Amino acid sequence: MFKELDPLLHAQLRLAVMSLLMSLESAEFTFLKEKTSSTAGNLSVQLDKLAEAEYIVLEKTFRGKKPLTTCRITPKGIAAFEQYVNDLKQYLNHNPS
Amino acid sequence: MFESYSNTMEPTAQPMTPQESLDLITSMIRQAQRNVQQSSYYFLLWGWVVALSHASAYVLLMMDYRRPYLVWLLTIPAWIITVYKSRQQGRTARSVSHLDHITWALWTSFGICIFTLVAFGYKINFQLNAVILLVCALPTSVSGVILRFKPLIWGGVCFWLCGIASFLLPASWQHIVGLVAIVSGYLVPGYLLRNKLKNV
Repeated sequence: MFKELDPLLHAQLRLAVMSLLMSLESAEFTFLKEKTSSTAGNLSVQLDKLAEAEYIVLEKTFRGKKPLTTCRITPKGIAAFEQYVNDLKQYLNHNPS
Repeated sequence: MFESYSNTMEPTAQPMTPQESLDLITSMIRQAQRNVQQSSYYFLLWGWVVALSHASAYVLLMMDYRRPYLVWLLTIPAWIITVYKSRQQGRTARSVSHLDHITWALWTSFGICIFTLVAFGYKINFQLNAVILLVCALPTSVSGVILRFKPLIWGGVCFWLCGIASFLLPASWQHIVGLVAIVSGYLVPGYLLRNKLKNV
């Protein structure tokens, strides 16, 4: 029996954000928006969902007069991502294309 | 049923397959790889400053000028530019990776070593060329590994070879060896790195 994939991560934009943050120590909102080719509104909603699950932390500061949102992955987020990748591998090993 | 998104990452009805998930993860990890554009700036800046200093010092030495080492004052503005620009880049970087921190620590340690060598060089009658070239070999080749850019790794090897040559050759050759080292270790890889990014 296969484990169900984490529904919070099995969504394109949230998975893209988590994959980026796995490789980085921190990333700004505009960086994530550019790399994922997403809209600001959608990205903002998905980041809030990840933050509510404590997969990431959002730091809201200012650079000069402009608001600045910086995202970091948490240990809980790293564990969830690693679990998600292991579940994917397990699924693909048993269902080779 | 899981949520899914199209290529523009907006909601669609199609679920994401496990293979698509893996492809997305791979693609995003590639996207997060360090931007190499800024690295070439420092290699070119220091490549030209040190190359000009070696060439000028050699010419002054041939002209029997008493204090050819004064040309090394050229490095002071280069230090100021380097510190100012790296601080500015640190403040405005939109993403920071662990490799960025490693690179920063590597070159900062290198800077401290060079500064210490120059400050206490009088203790060994400023016979520093070979030591400086060997110290240069380390961060240059490690940066090549970090950036996955072979010309920089070979640049580090050139520094190492020129360091050996510097130990073996007489004093009059030291500026020539230094010039060869800086051109092959910084300038050539620096331009190749800049061109690589232009072609991406």
